[in-house]
Amino acid sequence: MNEFALIFRNDFHPEAGYSPDKLQEIMKQWQTWMGGMAAKGQLANAGTRLGGDGKTVKPSNVITNGPYAEIKEMITGIIVIKAGDIDAATEIAKGCPILNAGGNVEVRDIIPMGSN
Amino acid sequence: MFLSGSEKIDRHWVKNQNLKAMKEFVMLIRLEALPEVNFSPEEEQSLMNVWEKWVEGIIDRNILVSRGNRLGADGRTLKNGVLITNGPYVELKEIIGGYLIIRANSIDEAAEIAKGAPLVGNGTIEIRSIFSDDN
Repeated sequence: MNEFALIFRNDFHPEAGYSPDKLQEIMKQWQTWMGGMAAKGQLANAGTRLGGDGKTVKPSNVITNGPYAEIKEMITGIIVIKAGDIDAATEIAKGCPILNAGGNVEVRDIIPMGSN
Repeated sequence: MFLSGSEKIDRHWVKNQNLKAMKEFVMLIRLEALPEVNFSPEEEQSLMNVWEKWVEGIIDRNILVSRGNRLGADGRTLKNGVLITNGPYVELKEIIGGYLIIRANSIDEAAEIAKGAPLVGNGTIEIRSIFSDDN
């Protein structure tokens, strides 16, 4: 089994446009999806959900306020899953609720550090 | 508290550490060139050693929460339930090379810490707070 990072992106502050009921429903979808992966032993790290605060440090050491904003999406969270290969990881990622909410999922292989 | 045996103890860090009050911040590393794609294996090893040295400095300052992960060159992107790319997600010219989690007293302090990171070539570090209902 290998580990893969799933990076979630959506429009800035996606939850701002939702009613409390819709938010509840979305939270439930995430819990179901994460719980399902955990039950199957596919979740290596439940990771972090990222807040709306940010700072961006650029090459000249200039610091700007806010999350990285070169594109119109922001990263909303990262988790780590286990799968045989990247295609299998991609299949798991297809169940992610963010795909029903206008967002996208990037699947990346992980290079274990301290190995060469 | 157990301090390392070095002669010069950085009193500034020891005095100002109030670990319970500190917050956690995720550092997302964006690079224009991934080390394993654009460099020879020897150069890559050397670059990773430099990076590892910086991470050890973070550990010595007692502010590392998680080593995070280094992300490789393979990738897939899904949108609307379907595969839209093979390869990493390219934001303008940059790709996410990895992330780690540190603690700091404020997001500004976290950004100052990030200034010292030895990035490979041109890159950007994005500092993000962990989600809570307040942010």
